[in-house]
Amino acid sequence: MQYNDWFFVVIFLPAAAALYYLLPLRLRWTALLVFSTAFYLLSCGGRILILLATTLLVYVTGLCLDKIQLSFQEQKKGLPKEERKQLKKQTEKKKRHVLVFSCILLFAILFSVKYLNFFCGNLNILLDRLQIASQIPVFHLMMPLGVSFYTLSAASYIIDISRGTCQAQRNYLKLLLFLFFFPVIVEGPISRYNQLGKQLEEGHAFCYETFCEGLQLILWGLLKKVLIADRLSIYVRYVFGSFEKLPSPIIILGVCCYTYQIYMEFSGCMDMVTGSAQLFGIRLEQNFRRPFFSRSVNEFWRRWHITLGSWLRDYIFYPISISHPFQNLTKQTRKYMNPYYASCLPMIAALFAVWFGNGIWHGAEWKYIFYGLYYYMIVVLGMLFEPLFVKITGVLSISRESRIYHGFQILRTFCLVNLGMLIFRADTLTKAKDMIFSILHNGPAGEEPFMQALLGHRIGIVEWSMFAAFLLLVIIIGILQEKGIGIRKTIGGSPLPVRWCVYLAAVCILAAAGAYGPGYGAVDFIYAQF
Amino acid sequence: METVIKILSNLKPGVDFTTEKDLVNRQILTSMEIMLLTGELNDAFDIEITLPYIIPENFSSAEAIYDMVQRIEEDE
Repeated sequence: MQYNDWFFVVIFLPAAAALYYLLPLRLRWTALLVFSTAFYLLSCGGRILILLATTLLVYVTGLCLDKIQLSFQEQKKGLPKEERKQLKKQTEKKKRHVLVFSCILLFAILFSVKYLNFFCGNLNILLDRLQIASQIPVFHLMMPLGVSFYTLSAASYIIDISRGTCQAQRNYLKLLLFLFFFPVIVEGPISRYNQLGKQLEEGHAFCYETFCEGLQLILWGLLKKVLIADRLSIYVRYVFGSFEKLPSPIIILGVCCYTYQIYMEFSGCMDMVTGSAQLFGIRLEQNFRRPFFSRSVNEFWRRWHITLGSWLRDYIFYPISISHPFQNLTKQTRKYMNPYYASCLPMIAALFAVWFGNGIWHGAEWKYIFYGLYYYMIVVLGMLFEPLFVKITGVLSISRESRIYHGFQILRTFCLVNLGMLIFRADTLTKAKDMIFSILHNGPAGEEPFMQALLGHRIGIVEWSMFAAFLLLVIIIGILQEKGIGIRKTIGGSPLPVRWCVYLAAVCILAAAGAYGPGYGAVDFIYAQF
Repeated sequence: METVIKILSNLKPGVDFTTEKDLVNRQILTSMEIMLLTGELNDAFDIEITLPYIIPENFSSAEAIYDMVQRIEEDE
C-alpha cells in the first residue's frame, strides 16, 4: 500500500481517523497501533516478524539501560564526590557495554537484509580476481518495509536512554507503535522518541483547525506526487535510458527534471505523511525547508531530508568530533598549523564517517557510496578554500552579503546538487560517468533531433507548461514562506467561498491532470526502496 | 560569563554575544564551531562536556552556554 493509493486516501485513512476519535482519549493510541499493524501487514506481510524482533531487542535494551541508571541514582546518594565520580564512570561503562552490544545486533539485522548481497557480491568479485575458485553464496533476502528508517529511530531511542535524555518505555506495544506508526514507516521522517513517542501515547482531542490543515497538506502532497513527479518520471526514465543519442541540453534538462521529480515526490510524500499525522493531532518533525534556496551544499543538507542530517550529526558527527582523541588532535595540530586548518583536520575526519554513512544509508550500491563521498569532497573543499574565497571576493570588492552574490551562491549550489542527483539516479556508477561524458561531448545536436527528444516522448507542450506553472507556484510559495508568510494559514483564514474554491480547484486539477489512466502505472516512491 | 564571551568572540569575531539569543538557529554557531567551542570550554573551566549536553538549547546564547558550564561543574 502506498500513501497515494486511492484505497489509502479514501478508505484506510478515514477509517483510522474515525476509530481514533471514537475511542476514549486514553485508548486512542490502540487505534493507531491496529491501523499501523494493518498497514504493515498489507504492505509486506510476514516480514513484520523482523520488525517485532527488532522492537523486542530495543525494548529490552531500554529497560536494561534504565535499570542501570536507576541503580546509579540510588547508590550515589550520600557518597563523597570522588566516590560518586568513580561510580559514575563504572555506570557509564556498563551502559556502554549494553548499548554497543544492542547496536551491533540492531545494525546486524539491517546489514543482513540490506547489505549482505552487496557485500557477498563484491567479495565474490574479489575472489574471482584473485583466481580463487570458491564463491560465497548470494542470498536473496527481501527487505522489510522502512527498515532503514525504523533502525535509525530505534538506535536513537536506545542511545538517548543511555545518554539520559530519554526514559525507557515500559509498554512493548507503545514502543512498537513508535517504531512503525504507519504515516512514517515508509519514508520517515526519522523520528526521535522524545518528539513523537509521547504524542502517540497521549490521546488527542479532535481539533477542526489541525484536521483541516492535515487535509490541506495531504492534498498538496498528492498534487506534487501525482501531477508532477509521476509525469516527470516518464521523461526522466527516457533521458536516463537513452542519453547516448541525445543532445547535451536535453540530458541536462533530464537531470534537472529528475531533481524536480525527486523533490516533488519526497517533499510531497512528507506533506502527505505530515498531513496524515495531523489528522490525529500529531505533529511530525519537519523534513524539508525549501532546500533550493540554499547558498551552500552544507545549507542544502540542513534543509533537505533534515531528520537524516540531524541523526547523522547527533549520533555520528558529534560523538566522533568531541571524543578525546579528536579533541587532542585539534589541540596538537593547532600548535603547529594555522589555527583554521588545524581546526579543519578533525572535522574532515569526522565528516568522512558522516558522508560515508549518508551514502551507504541510501542503498547497497557503489553509486550511493560515491554519492555520499561526492558531497564529502565538496564540503571539505569548501571548508579548505573558504579563506581563499573570502580573499578573492575582498580583492574583487564583491560584497558577500549582496543579493547578486547570494543569487550566484544559490545557482552554484543548484548545479552541484544536480550533479549529485545524476550520480544518484544513474543505473550504475559507470553509467553516471558515461552520462557526464555525453553531456560534455554530444553537443547541441545528438542522434535524435532536439525537438523530437523534447516533445516526442509522451510529454508534450501541455505537460511542459504544467511543469513550468507548478514550478513557478512552488517558487512563489517558497519565497513567501522564506519571508515568514504561512500559505496554509492564509488559505484557512480566507472567507468560506474562497477557501472552498481553492480546495475544489485542487481536487479537480488532481482528478483531471494526475498521471493515471491508460498508459500510466502507479509509480513507487523513490525513497520507499531505502 | 566573561570567559565564555571571550572564548566566543575569539572563535567568531564580529558577533555581539552579549545580545545574540539564537546562535544555533541563526547558524551563527555551526557544528564545526560547536565542536571547537566544546574543546575551548573544557580547557578553560576544567570540565568535560559530554554528548547529552550537545543540544541546541545549550548553545543558543552566551548565557545558555554559561548555565550549561555551571550545571556540568555542579554535576561533577
